[in-house]
Amino acid sequence: MIKLLSMILMGLYLAGPAYSDDGNEMLQKVDRNLNPDSFETYRKLINIEPDGSKKEFIMFTVKKGRDQVASVFLSPASEKGRATLRLGDNMWLYIPNVGKPIRITSLQSVTGGIFNNADIMRLDYNAEYNCEKMEQKEGLMVLHLKAKSRSVAYDSLKMWVDNKKLLPNTIECRASSGMLIKTLYFKKVQDFGGGILRPAVVETDSPLHKGYKSIMIFARMKKRDLPDEAFTLNFLPRVESLR
Amino acid sequence: MSKTLFILGLYMAGLVLAFQRPAFGQDEYEFDLSEIGKEIEKKPYDIGGFFEFRSVLFGLDRDSAFHTLKFFDQDEGATLEQYNFGLRLEGGYQKGIASLYFMTDSRLWYDYEGWDGDIDLMEGYLSLKPGPSFALDAGKEVVLWGKGYAFNPVAFVSRPKDPDDPTEALEGYYVILADLIKSFKGPLKTFAFTPVILPVTESINDDFGKLDHINFAAKLYFLLWDTDLDFLFFTGESRTTRYGFDFARNIKTNFEIHGELAWITNFDQKSIDSQGNLSTEDSDILRFLFGIRYLTTNEMTVIVEYYHNGGGIDEDDAENFFEFVDRAYDTFLDTGDSSQLSKAFRLSQGTLAAVKPMRDYLYFRASWKEPFDILYFTPAVASIVNLTDQSLSITPELLYSPKTNLDLRLRGAFLAGGRNTEYGEKRNDYKIELRVRYFF
Repeated sequence: MIKLLSMILMGLYLAGPAYSDDGNEMLQKVDRNLNPDSFETYRKLINIEPDGSKKEFIMFTVKKGRDQVASVFLSPASEKGRATLRLGDNMWLYIPNVGKPIRITSLQSVTGGIFNNADIMRLDYNAEYNCEKMEQKEGLMVLHLKAKSRSVAYDSLKMWVDNKKLLPNTIECRASSGMLIKTLYFKKVQDFGGGILRPAVVETDSPLHKGYKSIMIFARMKKRDLPDEAFTLNFLPRVESLR
Repeated sequence: MSKTLFILGLYMAGLVLAFQRPAFGQDEYEFDLSEIGKEIEKKPYDIGGFFEFRSVLFGLDRDSAFHTLKFFDQDEGATLEQYNFGLRLEGGYQKGIASLYFMTDSRLWYDYEGWDGDIDLMEGYLSLKPGPSFALDAGKEVVLWGKGYAFNPVAFVSRPKDPDDPTEALEGYYVILADLIKSFKGPLKTFAFTPVILPVTESINDDFGKLDHINFAAKLYFLLWDTDLDFLFFTGESRTTRYGFDFARNIKTNFEIHGELAWITNFDQKSIDSQGNLSTEDSDILRFLFGIRYLTTNEMTVIVEYYHNGGGIDEDDAENFFEFVDRAYDTFLDTGDSSQLSKAFRLSQGTLAAVKPMRDYLYFRASWKEPFDILYFTPAVASIVNLTDQSLSITPELLYSPKTNLDLRLRGAFLAGGRNTEYGEKRNDYKIELRVRYFF
C-alpha cells in the first residue's frame, strides 16, 4: 500500500510543472543586476522604420518593488505629459486634457513600434516568469522561462545570460503557440554609478514587423525609494513632479 | 460636393503616400549618451502647445428641422465651408512644492458669416504638492470623473464631453480641489478622497447653475481586487443633489469592462407638447452607462457603450417639437411671422440642442492601430445610434502622424434617420473635416 502511494505521489510530482530552483535564483540575480529593487530612470525610445526614418520619445520612469511602475513622456511635444501606471497586471494611460486615466492592455503600445506596454512598463522577470530549465550553450547560460499566468504578455521567454556578469544578452519572446513575437538584444553595458552596471541599450526586432526596429536607451538610473502613493491613479497626472 | 470630397480624400491619401516610404535597407543607428543627458535636463518652466488648421465641409439637410430654425429666411445653398485656425498654448512653472499651470485656446474661423474668433482660458490653476499623498489645487481646472469613453454621467463638476469627439480637451470650472491618497497592501491597494468646492457667482462658473452659491462635490476611489471603484456625490444650491458610482476592471488583459451610475434628485424633467410648450416635472432620475473595451490580436480596439439618459426627452416630445417647427415654418411662409420659429429655437436650446438629449444611445468605435505596417497610422470608425428613434451617425476617421509632432486627421460624419428623428432632423446630412496639428 505504501509502495503504491509512493508511486502515485512520484507520478504526480513528475506530471506537475518542472521548476529550476537554480534557474529562478539566477533570474532573481539578473533582475537585481538590471535594476535596483526601487529606482528612477530616464529612457529614450527610438522607433526606426525600414527606410531609416526615426521617431523618438523620452520618458521618466519610477519603479517600486516587484510590480509598481509609473512613467511620463517628456518629449516629443505631441506626447508630453502622457503618463502610464502599472500595478501588477493593471495598466492605465493618462492623456492630459482628456482627463481620467483609461485602462490599457499589455499588448498595446503607447509609443507605436515594436515595444508594447509590457516592454515599456516591464516588471521584474521573476515576478512574471518561472524558470523551467537552464542549460549551458556557447559560453552563455540559457534560461527557459514560462509565464506564471495567462495575463503575462509573452507565454514563454528564452533568455541567454552572461555567466559572469549575470546580465541578459538576448531574450526571445514567444506566444503560447510557440511563435516568435520579438527578440530583445541587450547592448553597451555601462556603469550608472551606485553599483548599477547594466546594458544601457535594449534593441528589439520582430519577425511580425520585418525591417522595423525599436531601441530603448537608459540614462541616469539610480536607486530611489518612493511611497506607494506615488503609484496610484490619482497621482498619475502628477508623476512629472517626481523629477 | 463630390468634387470637394474627392479633393479632400486625394489630399489625405497623398499625404499618407508622401510620408509612407517603401522598405529600403536600414542603417545602424548611432547615439550619444551625453546628448541624452542634455535632453532630459529639467527646467522650472515649460511651455508648449500646437497650431491647428481645420477645414470643414458641411452638407446641409435642407428639409430638416434644425436647418429650418437656422436658415428659415436665407438660402446658403447645399453646402457650407468653414476654415478654422487655432493655437493652443499651455505651460507651467514649478518651484518647490508649488506649481502653476495654464492652457489657453485661441481660435479664428471663417465661414458663411465672415471672420470671427475667440480666446478661452481652458485651465489655469495653482497646485501645492507637499508629497505624493496630498495635493491642493485652486483655479480653473477640468475635474473629469467617470470611466466612460463617450459619456460620463457621473462627471458632476465638469462640462459634458462631445461624444462625437470625446478626446478633445474641455474647459474647466473654477474650483478648489484636494486629493488625499493612501496605499495599502492586500486586496485594497489604493484609497483616495477628492473633495471639491465649486462656487457659482456672476463672474465665475456662471454657466454651471444657479448663481451665488457654493457647491460641494467629492469622490471616494478604491482600487479593490484589481477593480477601480468610485463613489461620488454633489450637493449645493446651483444644481440638485446627485450621487454616483462607477467601476472599471480588466476581465482579461485585452478585455476591459466599465460602468457608471448617477442618481440625480429633484431633476427638472422636461416635456414638450404639440403646441411647443415646455413643461417640467420634478423627479429623481437615473443616468447610467455600461461599456467594454476589447483589443484584438491584430491591434484593433473596439469600444462599445450603452448610455441611458433618464433625464432625456422621450420620442413623443421630440416628435411634438419637430412638428411644431414644421407648423411654425408654415406660419412664417404664410404670414412672414417668425415668432413661432423663435420660440422653437429657444425651446431647442434647453432640450434637443443639448448633447445627446434623448433617452437611450449606443456608442461604437473600432480603431486599428498601424495596419499594414504603416507606423503611426490609425484608421477608425465610430457610430452613435439613438436607440429610441433608430437614427444614427457614422464617423469614419484616418489619423496619421507622418513626422514627429505632426498629426493629420481626416474624418467624415454621416447622419441617417427618418422624419422626426434626432439625426434625421439635424442641420447637416454629412460633415467632412481635415485637421492638421503641429505640436511645439
